[in-house]
Amino acid sequence: MALIVATEAVGAVFLRQFLLADDWRLIVTLLAIFAAALVAFERRPNLEGVIASAFRTQSGFAILLGVALVALFPFALEKNTYALHLCVVAQLYAALALALNFQLGSANIPNFATGASYGIGAYASALLALNFDVSFWIALPAAAIVATAFGFLLGIPSMRTRESYLALVTIAFGVVINQLLNTLDFTGGPNGLVGIPAPQIFGHSFASPLVVLGYELPPQANFYYLSAMLVFVAILFAERLHNSRVGLAWNALRADELAARCQGINTTWYKVLAFAVDAFLAGFAGTIYAFYVGFISPENFTFLVSVTIMTMVIAGGMDNILGVVVGAVLLTLLPEKLRAFSDYRILFFGVTVIGFLLIRPQGIFPKRLRQYEA
Amino acid sequence: MASPILEGERLTMRFGGLVAMAEVSFELARGEILGIIGPNGAGKSTLFNIISGLYVPSSGEVRLEGQRLNGVPAHTIVGRGIARTFQSSRLFGDLSVLDNVIVGRHTQTHCGVFDAIFRRGRANGELKRAAAHSEHLLRTVSHNLFEQRHRPAAELPQADRRRLEIARALASEPKVLLLDEPSSGMDDADTDALMDDIRSVCAETPDLSLMIVEHDMRLVAALPHRVMVLDYGQKLADGPFEEVRRIPRVQEAYLGRRGAASHAEG
Repeated sequence: MALIVATEAVGAVFLRQFLLADDWRLIVTLLAIFAAALVAFERRPNLEGVIASAFRTQSGFAILLGVALVALFPFALEKNTYALHLCVVAQLYAALALALNFQLGSANIPNFATGASYGIGAYASALLALNFDVSFWIALPAAAIVATAFGFLLGIPSMRTRESYLALVTIAFGVVINQLLNTLDFTGGPNGLVGIPAPQIFGHSFASPLVVLGYELPPQANFYYLSAMLVFVAILFAERLHNSRVGLAWNALRADELAARCQGINTTWYKVLAFAVDAFLAGFAGTIYAFYVGFISPENFTFLVSVTIMTMVIAGGMDNILGVVVGAVLLTLLPEKLRAFSDYRILFFGVTVIGFLLIRPQGIFPKRLRQYEA
Repeated sequence: MASPILEGERLTMRFGGLVAMAEVSFELARGEILGIIGPNGAGKSTLFNIISGLYVPSSGEVRLEGQRLNGVPAHTIVGRGIARTFQSSRLFGDLSVLDNVIVGRHTQTHCGVFDAIFRRGRANGELKRAAAHSEHLLRTVSHNLFEQRHRPAAELPQADRRRLEIARALASEPKVLLLDEPSSGMDDADTDALMDDIRSVCAETPDLSLMIVEHDMRLVAALPHRVMVLDYGQKLADGPFEEVRRIPRVQEAYLGRRGAASHAEG
């Protein structure tokens, strides 16, 4: 139990320091500490095993503590709105990366269209809100359903192809969606959609500061908690599906498609299913993003966004929920924190990611075998 | 003889101009073990691919308990009761040994996405039962394999990989089991152990019918009740091994060309 408290506390403190760090020397030091921890994990698999088994045997406590830390985290950020904003974006990306993980991680389907599903979710909910005065809470599931429908639509032609060709189909889908958003009138063309109203709950607008027991948090905190809930739901989905017959079927598909078919797995159906689940979660993330920034345009949902999400899954660790979340947070924060290097920012970003992958070739937290308690 | 569980009627398979199989008919009785021999490229694997639904025959018909199987997708055929292994073992290498067998129970389990997320108890219960059944199955096939159930399948030695494939195929509770060169890559001791394992599986499930493609003549002489010889996609002979091996055309086509009768290449 002490081990769990220590691990989670170290993680939270590290994240806080990294978010608030301005000086490049401090940022580099923190990254070096992170790299050192990865080296330690790689050299001493036992260390990782001990921590992992502690979390497994006392998972209830670990989850409670984790939720508490996430809930209290905004209070530790000294009302820094920029840090809170980064947290919101990182959590949205975490949800997107978890969505893609169903495909890329579980079933090895290279889908380059997660950014498009994200965009479809954002536009669907924004259009509902702007044209029909639909409230956020109704737009949220509605947009997810629209995105899922598009996910099915993409999934069906994709089934006729595989591997590199499948990747091409999804790239094409992403480009087509982006072009449509750019040219159609009702999506506002390149100007996008402006003035999406902030969500309200029980008369409290998400645009106003959040006051908890007399302590005032900036308005971003509203969305922080909202996106935290989305990540929680995404993790719940991911964990339950992974440890189910569906997750096993996806893994079988990943390992050997022909052998999977010969175990009675309808591979076409399971692939389409992965597309749909991915689009469903991405649609949720898109809605929250649209209502958070209040302004969306096609350039928020380009091919590059899909590639970023894919990098998060690969660098974090395919088919490992914790790895994917850590990858998403790290890759969202890195380019922001490396602003100190101004022109060389992207170079340093690339070098850092490659460095982490050299230390941990299977991702920060690689996939594990399932455990069954007798 | 009672009506056969599986029968093939004038099965022909063409790939463009190449005829991989020409008018092959066969019957398999309940509980019978049918050996299939023939030189490389004789059409043995083609026959298995047709039966398991990976190929749709150009003409002819496969029937399981009188029901036509042509055009039925491979994943449905497993559910109907035909399971198979592969010549080059095709395990799910990054899953544990136990998970490989649990995947094999796919047709015997039913929980989907909705159950997994919202009806956790139901999905977990089903998976737990599948895990328990799979452990039992592993123990029946090979105790050694059972001991290694939490290792990744890719780490298993060759002989155990073969056994695991058989266990995985049995997990779907098939009526007919197709084994594609189960002893390939095994030495004599491993092959003997494999034959014992197959015998014990047959003793456990007397109604199970087997079709075994094999090169190892020791296994072919010992296990099958009947042997079918294929050459150039055609059926040369069909009968007990002792009779089949004396047919001159068979010796010429297979045994003669391959040299000694005791050990064809693996």
